Amino acid sequence: MAEGVCFSEVWKTYERELGTDAQPALRGVTFAVRRGETLGLIGANGAGKSTCIRLLMDFIRPDKGAITLDGRSPADSRLRHDIGYLPEIASFPANLTVLDMLSFVGATHDLSKNDLTEQSEKWLRALELWDARKRPIHSYSKGMQQRASFVLALVHDPSLLILDEPMSGLDPIGRASITQLIQSLKTQGKTILFCTHILDDVDRLADRLLILHKGEKRFEGTPIELSGNFGTTTIVDGFLSAIGVIQP
Amino acid sequence: MKNSLKRISALARLVVVDGIRRHALIGLVVLALGIEVSGLFFFSFVPRDIGRMLTDFIVTIGWCAGMVFLFFHAVQVMSWGEDRRVIHTLLARPLSRTEYVAGVFAGLLFLLLLLNALLGAIGYGVLALIRHWVGEVYFSHLGILEYILSWVGVLCIQAMILSAIVLFSGIIRGGFTVLLVSLTYYLICNGLPVAIEFFKDASPLARKFMVGLTLVFPNFSRFDYKGLIVALGKWPEVTTLALNLAYVVLYCALVLTLAAGIYNRRDLK
Repeated sequence: MAEGVCFSEVWKTYERELGTDAQPALRGVTFAVRRGETLGLIGANGAGKSTCIRLLMDFIRPDKGAITLDGRSPADSRLRHDIGYLPEIASFPANLTVLDMLSFVGATHDLSKNDLTEQSEKWLRALELWDARKRPIHSYSKGMQQRASFVLALVHDPSLLILDEPMSGLDPIGRASITQLIQSLKTQGKTILFCTHILDDVDRLADRLLILHKGEKRFEGTPIELSGNFGTTTIVDGFLSAIGVIQP
Repeated sequence: MKNSLKRISALARLVVVDGIRRHALIGLVVLALGIEVSGLFFFSFVPRDIGRMLTDFIVTIGWCAGMVFLFFHAVQVMSWGEDRRVIHTLLARPLSRTEYVAGVFAGLLFLLLLLNALLGAIGYGVLALIRHWVGEVYFSHLGILEYILSWVGVLCIQAMILSAIVLFSGIIRGGFTVLLVSLTYYLICNGLPVAIEFFKDASPLARKFMVGLTLVFPNFSRFDYKGLIVALGKWPEVTTLALNLAYVVLYCALVLTLAAGIYNRRDLK
């Protein structure tokens, strides 16, 4: 059984909307994330990063190709016991508090009451939401909502983290603390797949990176291999060369 | 199975807590209660048949409040999934799409039960007080069991409409479109018995077709028991009640199974 995440020749085209032509969002993308590694998925807007993540979370289904998580299909909802997911835009039912959401997470992940209380307090304090825990989430700032999403992604101690734009909406202090958090999760041996268009994050966090452009894979490898392949010195130049904006 | 029920009830609880805290719903309950209590002030303008008129009034208030709940809250809850991607936050958990459909339906149905119980209890108090004031000459009978039955009937109608809304939310994107289709469904359900009556002299095939349509668009008037509250000794037969209840359970189960099937097959963008 293949360990980790595996995409094999995956194609996905969204339904055509009125007045637009259907364009494939992914064109035969193949990649793997091995257990314990951190893969940064990078690309411009519309490259297919979020599509990869939605496919992995089974929100959408591929037209062709196969996706497996530890050898199993993402459609198997039991797999999500071991996944922590951070959406690009934090979305919660309007009138709930983070404690209501945590109680839902505890029930769906079969956490004992003690474990839930202990883990909730740990993460709420770590992400500085303890004092705001009884306030409705809609009254939070964007950064607080993002941190609340992090709490919900981490409270059940998953071994695989899928993070869609983890730095979205954060101020520089918030970004620094989330970067530190992801680094500490890396050292704990968690498998992390994150997508971003902030290339500094990739440099600091990813063991390997995957560059997507217009639904196609343009590069997969370590940052050093990227520099070697394209003869560049920075990730930004390597990325721009990979998508053909500058000539290597 | 036990774990699945636990997940469904956790989601239902989330829907209930969200609903109870929603200001628009609190406003709806306060308004409906206010209208019910207003019965205490205008009943003296009713010249005769006070009992029948007031029981009709009280149950109709509950029915109207339920309709507002269904078309403006339930439709919105079902579309928060789509419009605001809350569905992604919820389905990122070990929750299957079938459990999602069952959980949201159960939560909304529980809110409807609370709404009917509250309006029913206060409404009964209003009726009992008026009966005490006017005496038995003007308000001869107020059957508690018949009163409860009439509210159960209202809840049955609401449950069927709710299951249809869940189905439409699976098929169609966008809260407003679901609202329009749900209203159309409700109007067809109400209009079909009239159409059947109109076409009673038509060909047998056409009549059978019209009657067959009532399987999809239920005839809600068979769940209207409010006329029994003030009538002595007109309790319907047990077999009729059991058949009606079985019909509601079967209808909701089939429609929700279909909705779950659609949710399982479609992309949740």
